[in-house]
Amino acid sequence: MVDVSQHKLVPEHTKLDDEAVEDVLQEYNVEKTNLPKIKLKDPALPEDAEPGDVIKIVRNSRTTDKAVVYRLVIE
Amino acid sequence: MQTPKEIGSIQFGLMDPETYRDMSATKVITADTYDDDGYPIDMGLMDPRLGVIDPGLQCRTCGQHSGSCNGHFGHIELAAPVIHVGFTKLIRRLLRSTCRECGRLSLTQEEADEYRDKLGRTKELGDDWSDVMKSAVRQARKAHRCPHCGSPQHDIKHEKPTTYYEVQNVLAGDYSERIAEAMQPDPDDEDDEGVDPVTLANETGLDAERVNQVLAGEFRPVGDDRKALEKALDLDLTEEDMNKLMPSDIRDWFEDIPDDDLVTLGIDPDRSRPEWMILTVLPVPPVTARPSITLDNGQRSEDDLTHKLVDIIRINQRFMENREAGAPQLIIEDLWELLQYHVTTFIDNEISGTPPARHRSGRPLKTLSQRLKGKEGRFRGSLSGKRVNFSARTVISPDPTLSLNEVGVPDRVASEMTQTMNVTERNIDEARQYVRNGPESHPGANYVRRPDGRRLKVTEKNCEELAEKVELGWEVNRHLVDGDIVIFNRQPSLHRMSIMAHEVVVMPYKTFRLNTVVCPPYNADFDGDEMNMHALQNEEARAEARVLMRVQEQILSPRFGENIIGAIQDHISGTYLLTHDNPEFVETQALDLLRATRVDTLPEPAGENEDGQPYWTGQQIFSELLPDDLNMEFTSKVGDTVTIEDGQLTQGTIDEDAVGAFGGEIVDALAKDYSKTRSRIFINEIASLAMRAIMHFGLSIGIDDESIPDEATAQVDEAIDAAYDKIQELIEIYEAGELESLPGRSVDETLEMKIMQRLGKARDSAGEIAEDHFEEDNPAVVMSKSGARASMLNLTQMAGCVGQQAVRGERINRGYEGRTLSHYQPGDLSAEAHGFVENSYRAGLTPREFFFHAMGGREGLVDTAVRTSKSGYLQRRLINALSELEAQYDGSVRDTSGTIVQFEFGEDGTSPVKVSSDDENPIDVENIADRILTSEFSSAEEKERFLGEREPPTNLSEHAEPRVDARAGVESDD
Ligand SMILES: [Mg+2]
Ligand SMILES: [Zn+2]
Ligand SMILES: [Zn+2]
Repeated sequence: MVDVSQHKLVPEHTKLDDEAVEDVLQEYNVEKTNLPKIKLKDPALPEDAEPGDVIKIVRNSRTTDKAVVYRLVIE
Repeated sequence: MQTPKEIGSIQFGLMDPETYRDMSATKVITADTYDDDGYPIDMGLMDPRLGVIDPGLQCRTCGQHSGSCNGHFGHIELAAPVIHVGFTKLIRRLLRSTCRECGRLSLTQEEADEYRDKLGRTKELGDDWSDVMKSAVRQARKAHRCPHCGSPQHDIKHEKPTTYYEVQNVLAGDYSERIAEAMQPDPDDEDDEGVDPVTLANETGLDAERVNQVLAGEFRPVGDDRKALEKALDLDLTEEDMNKLMPSDIRDWFEDIPDDDLVTLGIDPDRSRPEWMILTVLPVPPVTARPSITLDNGQRSEDDLTHKLVDIIRINQRFMENREAGAPQLIIEDLWELLQYHVTTFIDNEISGTPPARHRSGRPLKTLSQRLKGKEGRFRGSLSGKRVNFSARTVISPDPTLSLNEVGVPDRVASEMTQTMNVTERNIDEARQYVRNGPESHPGANYVRRPDGRRLKVTEKNCEELAEKVELGWEVNRHLVDGDIVIFNRQPSLHRMSIMAHEVVVMPYKTFRLNTVVCPPYNADFDGDEMNMHALQNEEARAEARVLMRVQEQILSPRFGENIIGAIQDHISGTYLLTHDNPEFVETQALDLLRATRVDTLPEPAGENEDGQPYWTGQQIFSELLPDDLNMEFTSKVGDTVTIEDGQLTQGTIDEDAVGAFGGEIVDALAKDYSKTRSRIFINEIASLAMRAIMHFGLSIGIDDESIPDEATAQVDEAIDAAYDKIQELIEIYEAGELESLPGRSVDETLEMKIMQRLGKARDSAGEIAEDHFEEDNPAVVMSKSGARASMLNLTQMAGCVGQQAVRGERINRGYEGRTLSHYQPGDLSAEAHGFVENSYRAGLTPREFFFHAMGGREGLVDTAVRTSKSGYLQRRLINALSELEAQYDGSVRDTSGTIVQFEFGEDGTSPVKVSSDDENPIDVENIADRILTSEFSSAEEKERFLGEREPPTNLSEHAEPRVDARAGVESDD
């Protein structure tokens, strides 16, 4: 099967550890549930992602080179 | 004035009938409204305790007069419960998911817990919790027996709008016949000997005696007996029985549903008990919500709601009378249904399957739902949008002498829209003069307000007298005068540039006047378009409008990040004529070209002509409008390279790509690198200069401008004939069955495609031939090449060949069987039989060509009409979906629940209008730094300005110091 996470158009998805998650929530002053969501079945997710995890996505951007986005994994 | 109160929260839920009774000012028992003397009847629908509408009368509940009393609800005690139409779906769900015996939700404890968890999670994530409810109901409906009391459950059938049946399978009436038949041997099967009663008794475990009784129809086999028989004989002994659930049954049922089970479904039992969905008491809206009006002939005309309430009370009374008289069940049920109908239509009169209640005249009544729903409803018609004061609407017309920031306002509009002047020491004389002028002569005043709050109307009679009375602290509502800021709008307001602030210039006659360069942002033309103007009523609004909404602030469009305001149409033809061949002008001509600009001295002449007079070139004159330190290089639309060095145009044609709206390079650069004010001045002056230029040269077209020499016409004919020959060849190959189909297409499609291709080529070559024969200075060519108007295709069609007409992207194939018109043989595949127009517009179309052309044209019209309505709806939905998103101070975009939509606005936190139009350098830091450094070190003055020793004024009105600043050299005011 094709591993879409290796495709050049799929940005890098990494799972954040608890400490990093705390930092993100603190930075934006939000609850986990206020983050954008990503479905567990999304093939771009890392293997070990579980509902409740926060994923960091780094995209290439025309204007800022890198754009960082966080998403909460849901069922 | 009442101070607005802040709303802390809003709770939606059902209302307890007891609450209806508690809040009721009176019970309503008679359907009559007024007695013979015209007084409202006690406990009638117009009872004075429900509020007052006639001025002078006192409310019997709160003692206030009409205007201050908002009115009070009454109530009707319904003779029998009825279903509230607004909740029929929820009622159905609850009936299906709860036990008919014990009222509990038909889910096991584990299932219920699971759904509760899911509900909590869904609410937390901000998703739609009603999906969870739906799936819980679906699960509960599967249970054939109540998991709590074990009683069997039946299916619920919902007959819209308000009837519910319980469907159960009962023993069929002809059970004995069915059994006997099944026991007979199968005539088609020789081995089948049938079943005799003894075997049947053995198989089912019934007594032989019983079996005989069953067969004789003396014993009804129910429950397990029935099942055993059905299994042994492989047949169905049941039939459906529909048991109607009366509203009272449903109410009893719902009363049994425990609070806990409701929570599982997402219902808050403290606020919304399900039995409250079945009405036993009907609230009667206050008379203020359904005022009666007195017609000219003295007759009273009642509101639709009152009419409906009259119906309800009448039926309610008849119901009670009949019940007391012990009427038969059938009659009671009919009356019950009638009561249900009237209550239903009182709430919603547009239910499918129910005939709408009508007025005597046949017009459907406008009841509660109809007041709220739709475009004219309370939400969209009265709350989101409403008619406002201080607004005017009239036809627009062009005025090239205005600045793009200005709007010409008819004097009669200016004397109607007022601005409030607070009288102070500094403006008292001015204020008195306005009042003295009265309401009718233009810069006058319509009202004054004394410090005690009394408002006095200024009239022609009292104005002299009143003017003397005006003192400090008074307010004077004076007419709009030149320089006032107003908001100007053209519908449809599709982007933010559809509403911009303009400065008033009061003018005679009846139309609003605009500079033509603001047509693109408003998408306006002058074929009868009307626009709206709003006069601003407080200082904050005026300041915001001036700083944020003024036209010059909107030169750059956030839609594509380039200028949307710039030269259009004749402006572009004008600059083209001025710069393309770089013509020469003597002094009077040069000064005439520049007369409407702030330039009043000419530079060094470019040379001397034969007569020994000094002359200036077009490029030189154009350069007078550019800032002295402008340097640019780009390719023009015409295709030559435009070079600007130190504010001098040294080569190139100024056309659409240089100064046009929608991304003209120079305008864009000025707006981004200089200031909004500088670009406003530039655009104004370009428009003026271009008008002067086009008037100098003259630009007009006539039919001869589109004619080409005979030899060119011959060439066109030749090209078309060649195409015809080629097509004939193709058709022959096709008919011989030798045409090879293209990948993924049938042979027929391939042929069509090839013919279309060939005919397209024929038209293009006709266009090229025509183009070759046009003069360079042909006005149509000038307009098309400079980008002012029309495309080369339009010229091709006028001079060469109109070309293939298409419907649905194909050659015209519809009409008769096998042919488009009866002029052709069936199966004729030639170009002319399928809508190829070989003539040009100038030569004229043949009748058949004309007909095909009309077919294509009609499709275009229909498409546009459909597209606009579809995109309008799409836009509405998009706006509703995005309206709650907000960019926060930390740069993130969140919705009202605090959910993050973007971590950084637009991924980069930059406004599209602040980004460079250069594709390679989205933010051209180097260029900006470069420019600032050079300007800093080029001269001491510049350095001073860089250091900011003198703050430039903010958004001065153009009228503040009329063009003085501008003449002295441009200061930024933004
Ligand atoms: Mg129009
Ligand atoms: Zn009252
Ligand atoms: Zn039960």
